[in-house]
Amino acid sequence: MRVIVAVDDRGGVLFNHRRQSTDRVVRRRIEELTEGHALWMTRYTASQFITLPEQARISERPLRDAGPEDYCFVEGEPLLPHRDDIEEIVRILWNRKYPGDVFLDLRPEECGMVLQNTEDFAGYSHEKITMEIWKRKEG
Amino acid sequence: MRKRRKSGRRPLTGTLVFMAFIIVLCFLVNPPGVKKAATTESASIAASVAAGTNDDAQADTDGAAAQAPAATTGTSFQLADIPPYAGAPYVAVNNNVPYFSDSNLTEVSFEQYGDLDPLGRCTAAYACIGQDLMPTEKRGDISSVRPTGWHNVKYNGIDGKYLYNRCHLIGYQLTAENANEKNLITGTRYMNVEGMEPFENMTADYIKESGNHVLYRVTPIFEGNNLVASGVLMEGRSVEDGGAGVLFCVYCYNVQSGITIDYATGDSSESADAGNSAQVRTNQAAPTATQAAATANQTEAAYIGNSHTHTFHRPDCSSVARMSDKNKVTFSSREEAVSAGYDPCEICNP
Repeated sequence: MRVIVAVDDRGGVLFNHRRQSTDRVVRRRIEELTEGHALWMTRYTASQFITLPEQARISERPLRDAGPEDYCFVEGEPLLPHRDDIEEIVRILWNRKYPGDVFLDLRPEECGMVLQNTEDFAGYSHEKITMEIWKRKEG
Repeated sequence: MRKRRKSGRRPLTGTLVFMAFIIVLCFLVNPPGVKKAATTESASIAASVAAGTNDDAQADTDGAAAQAPAATTGTSFQLADIPPYAGAPYVAVNNNVPYFSDSNLTEVSFEQYGDLDPLGRCTAAYACIGQDLMPTEKRGDISSVRPTGWHNVKYNGIDGKYLYNRCHLIGYQLTAENANEKNLITGTRYMNVEGMEPFENMTADYIKESGNHVLYRVTPIFEGNNLVASGVLMEGRSVEDGGAGVLFCVYCYNVQSGITIDYATGDSSESADAGNSAQVRTNQAAPTATQAAATANQTEAAYIGNSHTHTFHRPDCSSVARMSDKNKVTFSSREEAVSAGYDPCEICNP
């Protein structure tokens, strides 16, 4: 499966049960990126979309339910238990330091993935957002 | 150099409870004998403010997070309940629920900076922050302000070298205040950048994205007649969504690794055992049961060292998961780890 996560400078994802940040430009990018594929997410993640994209699938255990070609937009669910099923990680960097108490538990650099693409763009409420696409090494 | 002027006025009830909050904090922090102004009537108001509403606690989500370790719970903030600094720049207070009451909530922007106390120290800064209060131009010069306990002192190993910053209670990016003596305290570089700024960033970006308001209060906590604050209490709650977007209540420690501070005067010196000052190097909080909570224990510890191997790691390094708790030490910066004699891990390359 392919996982999408957004992190701050310290790899943080949540603070006090709440996402660290959000940006409508990121949501639009995710919609474009996942077009034609299922996009799994929890109800909490779905709550940041004003209109859910057509490809959205809601589950409280999206990493369990997603198929091999599907995307999962993850906010705080541990990735490590699903490490072997993850073929790609789309890591969105806020390029900001936020408070955090839940951190990304699987750094793509440390699980045999290779950076395939990186792109900077301006968000609506963030000066510079970076989107990295990491893929598992072939063979 | 002037920011756009703010719209909106503080509601009268908000003013009353704000004043009462300052009074109750002074009462709680200052020992007997220190000048206090609390009357029976105001103390009564303060009690109701401090009791606040804890309904916010369950303005919750489906997120899988664990709560940051709570320092204190109950109806009022007490410095005595704050644990000694243990490597994290802040600690959750009152289960991360601010001491605001429902009567504090308003969708009208305002800002208020408490008068200096008889020793010239800042009191609380309080605002309902909306986009209309945020800056439209770059920050101006604030060097004309000399907060209590201020010293221009440099040390090697500190980012920018200066131990102290003129710390905005309410950050410039939120209410565009420049050289306002009621909003600037003597704070360490560490508290400014690692403790307070992340909350300011989170609040600012939320307001920009949503267009909503955040009720926000920062209270410097002085012990007795000290001129330098021991730390600051930061509270924030998003208004229109009932705290679903932003909700925090934390205490940020006014400390700096490797430096001993005399809080009475602001004098400072390198710790005898540099990097090992009693203020800055203690064991981490005990681990908790769940994986998420285990992650929470590493909150803001930029690096984890192994006292057995004298190697330091990124918190998410696989070696940390295998490390015995008794061997774990935390560092807030790479420099701190290196100066303490630790070598970088060859796996995570911190």
